[in-house]
Amino acid sequence: MSSLCRRLFLLLSLLPGLWAFSASGQEGGVNFSREVLPILADRCFHCHGPDASHRKADLRLDEESEAKRDLGGGLVAILPGKPEDSEVWKRILSSDPDEVMPPPDSHRKPLDARERDLVRRWIAEGARWGRHWAFERPVRPPLPDPSAHPVDAFVQKRLAGENLLPSPPAPPATQLRRLAFDLTGLPPSPEAVTAYERDPSDAAWQAAVETLLASPHHGERLAMWWLDAARYSDTDGYQGDAERTNWPWRDWVVRAFNDNVPFDRFTLEQFAGDLLPGATPEQILATAFHRHHMTNGEGGRDPEESRIDYVIDRVNTMGTVWMGLTLGCTQCHTHKFDPIEQRDYYRLFAFFDSIDEDGKAGTAAKPYLKYRSPQADRAVKEMEAHLATLQPRVAAARAAAEARFARHLDSQVASQATGYRAWRPLTPTAATSAEGTTLRIEPDATIQATGPNPRQDDYRITLPAPTDLPRVTGWRLEVLPHDSHTGGKLSRGKTGEFILTNVKLLVRRKGQSQVRELEMAGAVADYEKEAKTRAYGKVRDTLDDDPRNGWTTEGADATKPHTAVYELAEPYRPSPDEELTFVLFQRSTIGDANIGRFRLSATDEAGETVRGLKPSPLEDLAAARPAKADMIDPALRKRLLDQFLLDESAYQTELATQNEANRQLGELRKAAGDLNVMVLAEKAEPRQSHVLVRGVWDAKGETVSRGVLPEILPWPDEKTRTRLDLARWLTAPEHPLTARVVANHVWQLLFGAGLVRTTEDFGLQGEMPTHPELLDWLAVELVESGWDLRHLIRLIVTSDTYRQSSDASPDLLERDPENRLLARAPRFRLPAWMIRDNALAASGLLNPALGGPPVKPWQPEGVWEEIFMGRYTYQPSVGPAQYRRTLYAFWRRSSAPTFLFDSAQRRVCEVRQSRTNTPLHALTLLNDTTLLEAARVLADRAAAEPARGHAILSRHILSRDLDPAERAVTEREHQRALDHYRVHPEAALAFATVGQQPSPTPESAPAIAAWMVTASLMLNLDEAMTRE
Amino acid sequence: MNRRLFLNQTGVNLGAIALGSLLARDSASGAAGLPAGLSHRVARAKRVIFLTQSGGPSQLELFDHKPGLMKWAGTELPDSVRQGQRLTTMTSGQKQLILPGIAKFSRWGESGATVSEWLPHTGAVADDLCFIKSMVTDQINHAPAMTKFLTGHQLPGRPSFGAWASYGLGSPNRNLPDYIVLISRMKRPSDQPLYDHYWGSGFLPSRYQGVKLRNSKDPVLYLRDPDGLPRELRRGMLDGIGELNRMRHDATGDPEITTRIQQYEMAFRMQASVPELNDLSDEPESVFELYGPDSRRPGSYAANCILARRLAERGVRFIQLFHPDWDHHSRLPSWCTARCRDTDQPSAALITDLKNRGLLDDTLVIWGGEFGRGVAGQGQWDSPEAGRDHHPRCFTIWMAGGGVKAGITHGATDDFSYNVAENPVPVYDLHATALHLLGIDHERFTHRFQGLDYRLTGVEPAQVVREILA
Repeated sequence: MSSLCRRLFLLLSLLPGLWAFSASGQEGGVNFSREVLPILADRCFHCHGPDASHRKADLRLDEESEAKRDLGGGLVAILPGKPEDSEVWKRILSSDPDEVMPPPDSHRKPLDARERDLVRRWIAEGARWGRHWAFERPVRPPLPDPSAHPVDAFVQKRLAGENLLPSPPAPPATQLRRLAFDLTGLPPSPEAVTAYERDPSDAAWQAAVETLLASPHHGERLAMWWLDAARYSDTDGYQGDAERTNWPWRDWVVRAFNDNVPFDRFTLEQFAGDLLPGATPEQILATAFHRHHMTNGEGGRDPEESRIDYVIDRVNTMGTVWMGLTLGCTQCHTHKFDPIEQRDYYRLFAFFDSIDEDGKAGTAAKPYLKYRSPQADRAVKEMEAHLATLQPRVAAARAAAEARFARHLDSQVASQATGYRAWRPLTPTAATSAEGTTLRIEPDATIQATGPNPRQDDYRITLPAPTDLPRVTGWRLEVLPHDSHTGGKLSRGKTGEFILTNVKLLVRRKGQSQVRELEMAGAVADYEKEAKTRAYGKVRDTLDDDPRNGWTTEGADATKPHTAVYELAEPYRPSPDEELTFVLFQRSTIGDANIGRFRLSATDEAGETVRGLKPSPLEDLAAARPAKADMIDPALRKRLLDQFLLDESAYQTELATQNEANRQLGELRKAAGDLNVMVLAEKAEPRQSHVLVRGVWDAKGETVSRGVLPEILPWPDEKTRTRLDLARWLTAPEHPLTARVVANHVWQLLFGAGLVRTTEDFGLQGEMPTHPELLDWLAVELVESGWDLRHLIRLIVTSDTYRQSSDASPDLLERDPENRLLARAPRFRLPAWMIRDNALAASGLLNPALGGPPVKPWQPEGVWEEIFMGRYTYQPSVGPAQYRRTLYAFWRRSSAPTFLFDSAQRRVCEVRQSRTNTPLHALTLLNDTTLLEAARVLADRAAAEPARGHAILSRHILSRDLDPAERAVTEREHQRALDHYRVHPEAALAFATVGQQPSPTPESAPAIAAWMVTASLMLNLDEAMTRE
Repeated sequence: MNRRLFLNQTGVNLGAIALGSLLARDSASGAAGLPAGLSHRVARAKRVIFLTQSGGPSQLELFDHKPGLMKWAGTELPDSVRQGQRLTTMTSGQKQLILPGIAKFSRWGESGATVSEWLPHTGAVADDLCFIKSMVTDQINHAPAMTKFLTGHQLPGRPSFGAWASYGLGSPNRNLPDYIVLISRMKRPSDQPLYDHYWGSGFLPSRYQGVKLRNSKDPVLYLRDPDGLPRELRRGMLDGIGELNRMRHDATGDPEITTRIQQYEMAFRMQASVPELNDLSDEPESVFELYGPDSRRPGSYAANCILARRLAERGVRFIQLFHPDWDHHSRLPSWCTARCRDTDQPSAALITDLKNRGLLDDTLVIWGGEFGRGVAGQGQWDSPEAGRDHHPRCFTIWMAGGGVKAGITHGATDDFSYNVAENPVPVYDLHATALHLLGIDHERFTHRFQGLDYRLTGVEPAQVVREILA
């Protein structure tokens, strides 16, 4: 057996059923709901369960009376006490492929020996019936040891049964670090760690717990859980993926958690805050929870179909988040495993069916709440303060540039040449066409079309890079009339007009097969036909790869030349071993409009020269011929200055930073005004709800009224009329699911996995709890504490089970690789968002402000642009806004923040995070700007006290000191980096210039870069990203 | 006992025991010789190249030749044909006047396949292709239809076809991801965004999601080390990380640390292997001549076709290209022909190139989009401005290689290219067939999530299209 097989086998032997088996083995008597029902559900209910449409042989095994009734001819499926006379048992044993159950073509695996034994013994013991454990109201079980902490009492009872002991307490620093991550999502400060290490008493632990629970960051941490469950996003998700401004709801969630609003109240307001008497704006705001679904504004889509999708999303989200039920199945048919009929589903659906919405998206997704966020002004003030720091820098850079301009102008005046021309004609070496036009190059560099005149054509004009120019900032296309054209006009087409659909400029280096495309920033022409979108007219439309629009001068005098000027996005520096190819695409719908005669030119002047068609400033200067610089006309001087400043990179950088800050300030001011938040509001006239046949939006079946799930908790109709009632039903003390599901969520937050591993499914197909009694105890405690989440959290984190070491011995690892028994604390990687927050906090970069408009952390360039082919551009936040917690990161549904490598996707509700381990994570953590910037800030600290450098880094990043062996490694790599950067100071400067940090001085750069390597190394340690 | 045997014997449900993470660890550890997957039968194809044409290419202009439509030109579509078919709200208000296909058609090769003059290169390789003219979907809008075409369900959240395939097959390449996505670069803002759930892993572990190879200085997000950090320092850093992580592993016993060390090493290898893959300077001139002039422009569909072949050579399991902007509601003569010019020569060249290198036999190539287009003209039907609205009831795709019969046409539509007349192939059947060719039984290939066993082919009965199997 290979080691993998052995691992797999061990894993299988740890499946929950087997644990239950061994447990029941001790107590005698098979437990129906925990041991038999899961088998029946998995193997039988698909054909013999609640769904009548798939039922075979008119037999159902999900109801006791049906399973035990006489089927005729003396056949009984289950005859209590007599397995050998029970058809179920006979069929399980049968070797006849036509008889055996489950049948081979069902693709359900046969019962194994253990399962057969359970079924046989259960029937033999009298086939006592019961309900699925999660559908029975939880009852507080007695504590196995009343003197112990309740959590420990249950966990240790289970361990004792397995002959295992809990682990010793984790080291104090580990405990505090664990607690800080779990409760706030942030690491403890080095000072807090030192203090707790000095006094690791229970009292100090209690105090640390209270401090962290009282921290405003506690609410943020819980909010991240809730935002994933709520599929919260800042955009619609579909088609245009338009932005929405529902973020004040996110701040409502943080406040609710920080105020420890009881969970039943928290539920009620999100389901029906709008229906509360005298509802406050905040209570209405809360209902945004049920509007965070994706919305589809795709042209051509029936809004009613979309509306139905939204209602369904609400029901399914409610099912998953509150009840751990997979209600989505019952959208199309009665549930195959759980006792939920399709009709029940649409009765729940009816609660959300009369929202005053019409299925539209974007800015038409009513109902809206007009809301002003109390947390936006802070962001505005922060940006204003940041701008104030930028202004003097811009002014200083401008002054320096203007001083250089004065000298530059003097030399220009002194050296000006008569007849200066901004544009140099380009002489092609080759001019070819795709469809057959013959292109003749004439001595004056014009190109004349002759020969065949195809309906559409592409011209390719090639020439050596114009090395007589120091650079190329733009190019010019002159379309020329000629006698050989129709009517002496511009083309040989029927009308004599031309249509240019697209242009490209390609650079090819000699000996290379591939080309580089030069991007263009814009285009202007002396004349453009008036055109709406997607018609021929504007020259700018020749830049968009769309043949349905383009440039034509139709309407102007076509016997005169016409000119277009293109500005390059980046100046091109001609190199003697490169050649340029201009491609002119003429692929208009009707065609017959290929350019007849044209000439290409290039210039090295920036600014107005390549953005307009007037003589350039330098041409005007040459024409004016002033004797001295101070004789230049002020207007011309201004134009010359503007052009000069474009090449002043230091000034341009400062200016761009300021402009971006100004733009962001504008956005923030808008966000501080009235916002439309998508909320719930009831239609005046409710809609009539129907069962939708097979879940199809327009296949209306029988009508239904509002109602709850009778098999879960029956409530009379008069108590189930409104969304308020629905919320009250969910949080009724006798509801069997909600308290268990929520307690399980809390457990998952603190242990990385729930007591029920399938957080999203408490139904028959879900997993059994690892500690059923503990779960029930916590659920009852939650309800009886008044749905006090903080109480529950406090309770759990003060247990020894929580505080024990996470180290795993090989034996324990073999025995319990998934840590279902909790003989050790779990050890797991932090969620991606927490890794980012940790880097910010550990380095001191973190901006701890709460709430407000979303921010945009660093992300690689071009990610949004690729998805939408340029419609959206991601501009990272500038100033302190860059260092806000990840909770506030703008969430574009079609492109979640790239640094969150395995987070919830927020398309539909998610209550269980995947934790994966891939090379893409490694690349993110090695190269993400946030992590590098954090490394830089940490490096500055270490470089300030080099003797303590390693200790400073490890204390901040790992909350501990390195041992000598570890230190030898970090010192070795630090020395390697230092040796390199001392020889390559320019590399040090480049590496240490990151994010918004000022460049280090050239002298300090090697040391800082070396410390940065060391800090980045530590930030990438498994320990740094792990909750231990 | 090897893993495959073990899995088959137990019929174990992969997801229920989180085998995914085990596999992830295993494949990362480079355990040689272990097939990291679940093959049910002999695979005819080892990999897939999916040439996704987003927007809904018009079967009437490209493949489904209906010369008989001329006599119906400008008349209203008979109700007997339409049979209550939904329209999008873009044309539901207008009369459905028939616009016969505006492109000329020829018969090509020995198979005599009908392919439009707009796709002459595709026509020239028609004898290597298998056309399915009877594809059917039930979605009429882009995002739901493409989501269905690629994930089996119209709502986002399910794993994509490529994710399923890489989940089932694992990777023979230790230096590249199993599933790679390439998107044509186009300047105009797309009306149909290419959502990343099209290549997402849904509820499968995220390591199975498609990795987008970008046309930028960072071909994979975060691949490039920062300026000023040379490769030798990165190597030293990773050595240090590895050593310290091993110490931590010894202290804590957590096997996840071992995996992390391996993933960091693979990241380092990817930093070399991806740029090498992306650098076409070792391709001879003849290759660029074969794939056409656009192949010289990085980011073009044609350049991506060359990359697809390079990825196939390197053992990547699932290679998916996306070419946007096939949504031709208007101006077929300029708009549709533009997309044909982008894709025709490179798609055909890819077939020829794979064939010449002996790779076509075990590479399944699929060309197609999320739905077809309607026979009625949109806009003034007899103007060059006319286009066509979406149409779910029939569309054409083609497949090649990987165990598919060459030179055949499967299925047919009625005289209006409106309804399928014979051998309908719903999207599920396409998935079932492709999985079959990869050696996977679609009915047994499940993953448990939220209490249900999900499969790519969904809950409706799906069938392998046996008629097209070679």
